Amino acid sequence: MLRRTLAITRKEIIHILRDPRSLSIMFLMPIMQLILLGYTATTDVEHLPTTVLDQDRTLQSRELVDAYRASNYFDILFYVATEEELGRLIDEGRAKAGMIIPSGYGRALTTDFEASIAFVIDGSLPSVAATAFSAAQTVAQAQSTALIEQLYGIDVEQQAGIDVRPRVWYNPDMKSANFMIPGLIAMILQIQSTLLTALSIAQEKEEGTIEQLIVTPLRSAELIVGKVSPYVAISLFNLIEVLIIGVVWFGVPIHGNVLLLLALGVLALLGSLGIGLLGSTVAHTQQEAIFLMFFLMMPFIFLSGFFYPVEAMPRVLQWISYLIPLRYLLIITRGIILKGVGITILWEQAAALALFAMAMLSLAASRFRKQL
Amino acid sequence: MSSRIFYVVYKEFIHVVRDRRTLAVMFLIPIMQLILLGYAMTTDVDHIPTVVLDQDLTSQSRDLIEAYQASSYFDITHYASSEEELRRLIDKGSHRAGLIIPSGYGHDLEKQQDAQVSFAIDGSDPNVARTAFAAAQTVAQAQALELAGERIGLNLETLPGVDVHTRVWYNPEMKSVNFMIPSLVGMILQFLTTLFTSMAIVREREHGTIEQLMVTPITPLELILGKVVPYIAIAFFDLVAILLIGVFWFGVPIRGSVPLLLAISALFLLTTLGLGILISTIARTQQEAMYLSFFTLLPSMFLAGFLFPLEAMPRALQVISYVIPLRYMLTVTSGIILKGVGLRILAGEVMTITAFGVVIFGVASRRFRKRLE
Repeated sequence: MLRRTLAITRKEIIHILRDPRSLSIMFLMPIMQLILLGYTATTDVEHLPTTVLDQDRTLQSRELVDAYRASNYFDILFYVATEEELGRLIDEGRAKAGMIIPSGYGRALTTDFEASIAFVIDGSLPSVAATAFSAAQTVAQAQSTALIEQLYGIDVEQQAGIDVRPRVWYNPDMKSANFMIPGLIAMILQIQSTLLTALSIAQEKEEGTIEQLIVTPLRSAELIVGKVSPYVAISLFNLIEVLIIGVVWFGVPIHGNVLLLLALGVLALLGSLGIGLLGSTVAHTQQEAIFLMFFLMMPFIFLSGFFYPVEAMPRVLQWISYLIPLRYLLIITRGIILKGVGITILWEQAAALALFAMAMLSLAASRFRKQL
Repeated sequence: MSSRIFYVVYKEFIHVVRDRRTLAVMFLIPIMQLILLGYAMTTDVDHIPTVVLDQDLTSQSRDLIEAYQASSYFDITHYASSEEELRRLIDKGSHRAGLIIPSGYGHDLEKQQDAQVSFAIDGSDPNVARTAFAAAQTVAQAQALELAGERIGLNLETLPGVDVHTRVWYNPEMKSVNFMIPSLVGMILQFLTTLFTSMAIVREREHGTIEQLMVTPITPLELILGKVVPYIAIAFFDLVAILLIGVFWFGVPIRGSVPLLLAISALFLLTTLGLGILISTIARTQQEAMYLSFFTLLPSMFLAGFLFPLEAMPRALQVISYVIPLRYMLTVTSGIILKGVGLRILAGEVMTITAFGVVIFGVASRRFRKRLE
């Protein structure tokens, strides 16, 4: 039995090696994803291009503009003379925020100790807008506090207060690469291996070569194991590749046990192969297999908490997310790599993955056998 | 000539329609993406599950907990009895923040001394952690200000100062879905046309049927046009479907001109179809075509500012983003849909998209012709 399985594996490896371009893309894809996710996946916006309409032109208004500039959130790039100009700059997208200081601001501040300004924010990208919104308020609050101190001669900061010491655990610098790279490892285990498995079998079906394999004394289990094992190897290779680049290049610390990560990774891989096999029993052509997998993987990526926290989603989507193995795998990879936790904490997730893998593999095997 | 193109289109349509399942997927993918992104993509962080360890148990500590609860940033869902328990809950991931009020907190406040609390934040998701970090301090500051005010007999919070009237333009409620719909329009156009065109041509080559087409009097240009027309039709159908669902289901306002949006989309298709044809001249198998399509699509998605804001990226990636056509398309779609601006403001983007289209489509059709000969 082992000999027959190995023969199939050899045949599959020859197939893979004959197409060196696909092979190199298989290895390059994770690196590209790593670079993209490692560098781009942050909503931490600073230096927003900002335009100022200062109708007041007093010492006080200049002080306020300076305070905004000093806050690091706003880059004052344009001074305009009219509101139309300000609107145009934001319409064109050259400025994302605009500050309007009305005339009389300085006088109101010195006589009534109360003045108001208007702040316009481009809301088309909500994550940027939310940051700008709170930064605009914070800067003005600091100005107000300074005013109160001046007015009452008290130093608010010197008053006995509540001293909050926030400690950021696991990822003290709050680097997005530290969050994204464990996620990417989960993604590779889940998505790349599923897609590769589904495609390799759909290809044999499309080209009619699967019939030739069926007339041989091969059993279906041997055929499956033989065909998918090269892809298991590729996925594991990619996992290690990402892990090494993550540690060496992006400086991601691995706090937990790498062996546990690999063991649970293999468990997740079994589930992925199950989905891939199941997909290949449904699809007749490679194109169908690709779209079917794509259709399945979209909810996997967006509902698993890969990009956005599951808790922030509507309740119904949260329920659906329980059916998605990537959800559990993400908790595992992030838990082991960032938090350094072990199986005593992750056993629920590991059990869910094992259950999923068993269900998928047995379903796929029975369907596959029937089809053959 | 036009009748020959028509026959190729007709043949391709039959191919597309015969494959019912793929056809269904082509229509369902955009709708699914819309629903997923419309509902699941929430970048605003609130109701962070929080665990409290109150070792003080005074009215002051309860006031502080209430202030955190009232802030809507934190949902206090559990009271821990030891630091180990708090640590364990955050390790498990069921809570993302932990407030620890040490004993003596209330006593310190009464004696008008600085009182300390610590706040543990799970930093693994930096976007959540940053919000939690800022909110933890803001809430305590407000609380401290209130206490200081009580002491000197003033309500410091209602004191005069600089009042900022913030107006958020285009998307006043800062709803994610309002941003997603315009982005998805550009994404779908690129995704569907590049992937489908490249695969359709490569499949023809893989099955050897392209030779049969070449011995007919069809010219290479007619063959290309004929093959891509069905995918243009599907892309436009999907585009209109996204807009309709966006408007009627998600309540996204379309402030600009829809005909202008469709016209510029057609212009953008020149680029994406060109990319698809270009890939088909490089790839030998459908798998390769798929990989290459993803290889172009992924950087487009990330560097066009679709998932994460461009402004937050390193300078080098921002520079690369200038050669990503989708970047300009996103400016156009969100400009027309959300900002309601017209051609006058978008002229630069439209010119860039045209230039990309002419160059890419030109190169692609030349390579395609050469490969056929």
